Amino acid sequence: MKAKRYLALTRAGIIEEMQFRASFLIMVVGNLLYLIVVYFLWKAIYASAGTDVVSGMTFNDTMIYLVLATALFNFLDLYTVWQIGRDIQTGKIVLDLLKPMEYRKYLFWSYSGSFVTHFFLTFVPTFIVVAVVTHGAIPLGINILYFMISVVMAISINYSIDFFVGTICLYTESIWGINIMKQVIVLLLSGATIPIAFFPEPLKSIVYYLPFQSIYNAPLSLLLDSSPSAEKVLTTLGMQLFWCVAMLIISKVFWKASLRQITVNGG
Amino acid sequence: MKRKGLRFYLHIYRKILAQDIKSKMSYRADFIISTLGMIFTNISGFVGFWILFRNFPSINGWTYHEMLFLYGFSLVSITPVQCLFDNNWSLRQQVYSGDFIKYCFRPINLFFYYQSEVFDIKGLGQLAFGIGTIAYSWSRIGLAFTPLVLLKLIVFLITASLIMIALQNAAAATCFWIQNSFYVLDLAFRFKDYAKYPVTIFSTVFRFIFTFIVPIAFIAYYPSLVILRPDEIPLLSWLSPFIGIAFFFVSYKIWMRGATRYSGTGS
Amino acid sequence: MAAIIEIKNITKEFKVLNRREGLKGSLKDLFSRNYKTVRAVDSVSMSIEQGEIVGYLGPNGAGKSTTIKMMTGVLEPTSGEILVNGCVPYKNRTKNAQNIGVVFGQRSQLWWALPLIESFKLLKDIYQIPDADYEGMLQLYRSLVDIEPLLHKPVRQMSLGQRTLSDILAAFLHNPKIVFLDEPTIGLDVSMKAKIRTLIHALNKEKKTTVILTTHDMGDVDALCRRIVIIDHGKMLYDNDIEHLKSFFGSYRTLKVRADGELAKQTEAIQKEFPEFSVSADEEEEWISVLVDEEKQKVLDVLAQLQKTHRIRDMQLEEISTEEVIKKIYEEGVR
Repeated sequence: MKAKRYLALTRAGIIEEMQFRASFLIMVVGNLLYLIVVYFLWKAIYASAGTDVVSGMTFNDTMIYLVLATALFNFLDLYTVWQIGRDIQTGKIVLDLLKPMEYRKYLFWSYSGSFVTHFFLTFVPTFIVVAVVTHGAIPLGINILYFMISVVMAISINYSIDFFVGTICLYTESIWGINIMKQVIVLLLSGATIPIAFFPEPLKSIVYYLPFQSIYNAPLSLLLDSSPSAEKVLTTLGMQLFWCVAMLIISKVFWKASLRQITVNGG
Repeated sequence: MKRKGLRFYLHIYRKILAQDIKSKMSYRADFIISTLGMIFTNISGFVGFWILFRNFPSINGWTYHEMLFLYGFSLVSITPVQCLFDNNWSLRQQVYSGDFIKYCFRPINLFFYYQSEVFDIKGLGQLAFGIGTIAYSWSRIGLAFTPLVLLKLIVFLITASLIMIALQNAAAATCFWIQNSFYVLDLAFRFKDYAKYPVTIFSTVFRFIFTFIVPIAFIAYYPSLVILRPDEIPLLSWLSPFIGIAFFFVSYKIWMRGATRYSGTGS
Repeated sequence: MAAIIEIKNITKEFKVLNRREGLKGSLKDLFSRNYKTVRAVDSVSMSIEQGEIVGYLGPNGAGKSTTIKMMTGVLEPTSGEILVNGCVPYKNRTKNAQNIGVVFGQRSQLWWALPLIESFKLLKDIYQIPDADYEGMLQLYRSLVDIEPLLHKPVRQMSLGQRTLSDILAAFLHNPKIVFLDEPTIGLDVSMKAKIRTLIHALNKEKKTTVILTTHDMGDVDALCRRIVIIDHGKMLYDNDIEHLKSFFGSYRTLKVRADGELAKQTEAIQKEFPEFSVSADEEEEWISVLVDEEKQKVLDVLAQLQKTHRIRDMQLEEISTEEVIKKIYEEGVR
């Protein structure tokens, strides 16, 4: 059965993740440290600004946004590009291509175990802690549903971007260079490190039309808005859906075309 | 047998470096893409910095250009770790696969021999970026420029760089004890991003931690004070060269201890 | 003559993590872990003299590499004494390294991206080899093997055979007193094996270098070693001349036949006919092997007798393998 086959990969991924007890601990410590630095930094910024609201966001809003963005980042960033690059360089890709499933899907489902573990071990606890500590600053209503839908699309868009960038590794050996370029662009333009609300015009408008903001900014802005207007929900999710489909097609076509070219040229 | 002093090691290093650069140049595309990646990283770091601080004339008593000076200082002082100790990133795989054993059979210092194998030229781009930023902010702040100040700057930059090197050595060495040490190394590497903020933004507890336990305040903040605030230099700033050397020495000992403990996988 | 390697009762123990199985097991491992101690080398003693070539044999995981790692100073023994060239290896690793050369498995120790000659030049500096000695060594190499085509080739572009050859040359370059060769001929074809054996033999003759050779290939042992040390489960089983071992296993030959009829039935029938010899069946390749002791009956007689009672389609005659020797020693002890 098809579903069973995919779920077997998920299960194997979970077990593998569990083996690395120390890395979990370190990841948590690392995030905490990062958030502490971010907390003090923004506190200093808000203190120096002399007003409570900067670019439409209070200190609390900013912190909640950044904490959740970090938690999202932890379960979205799975070093897919590295994996693809290594598979290509070691020639393992040839074996994977012979498997009775598409490489794109195979890799995704191999990672799904990590998605699940990381979601429950990093995002959910973070969310609960933030919700409790801020005494209901995160609205708990229909926005949670919007958020879930939005996150699923974010996962898909993020994976498509990763897969697209990973495909470039068919042409070059420089995985590091390719990966770092992708990472800095995505982190900055998606609003993962600085909320997009703080971006100056016209950068803000440009960023809004790029696919990256659909990964972090879109789900978080839906989550943190207690009563979003129907228009906002529709445009945000619509924009995400558009990029979801567009990036899926682009990454698929690019992969197929590249593969054909490589096999023709004997790579 | 002749005693193996500094001259011996410098001689060997120069030879290996020359060979390494020669062979790297045969992978031109890789070199170009990695350099681009490096430039991207720096540009995006700079853009992030600019977005964050453009709205505020000063943060915690630090002007925009003073902050920029700190930023530039941290870029330069983390260059040596990038250029000279990049092989730390592959330590994990080498230990895991058992290939590390090959470094143990040579009659020279193991740490030196291991690190000498890789020189990362693209880090020089970051150096140029950092020097540019320091020079720009220097002129905007209107600091005096005398040979003595320049000498101070160089000495403090070099000793400050030892902190990041020490952090990375210690982090890389964890792979001798735990299985998936990538996260540790990644965590240590992220510390470099926190070095660019003045340590005064933190509360007392964290100021203590970042000064004495994970001494990232010595990567840029304390040594910069010597240049930026020549009238009120705290004792810790003067101590920073010694702290750099001490931490480097400790990390070296940890690394070597791990390597001796290392037993190689398989039989 | 004083021994160059002196080992007394060395033992090495490792702590190994017991991993539990399945999803539940890995959850448990998250919170508690249990270790068990494994004794890789168990009170081994030996004394090796300058210029000897010693074959160090044993099945996989017997503790061969662990012993070598202790002799090279990479590992510290849990207990026991070890002296290499008069110093304790793990206490003076770099000093010891100056006097030894190592070729470890299929892991090249040369700089991957560099042409061989550049690696040699770096090694010359690292080992501080005087110019005259270096030139002399290259001269010797030229007289032994055709190295010119190798010298300007980057190691990563070499074939496995060329790489092994290069690694061996690099290990001898600084004229060490001892060279450790771990499986130097593994994965190589017959002619390359012969080439490498000749090279090792010549270098040992020329430079009086002590060679410790671990291998699974009895051909290596026959061609090179006068003395053999066998280890299994960390314990020493045998340490003596190859002649002595030959007298022990030399009279054994393995006769392999393919006979018409069902494999199991045929095997049983043959065992009945030759109750003194052990008969076994290889189901995958359909061979029936008879381990013949030629002191009791000549192999050809056995074959002749078999042909009378069975229809033999195919046959092969093999020397006894290292594994079988070890098995024999284990079963019967050393005479």
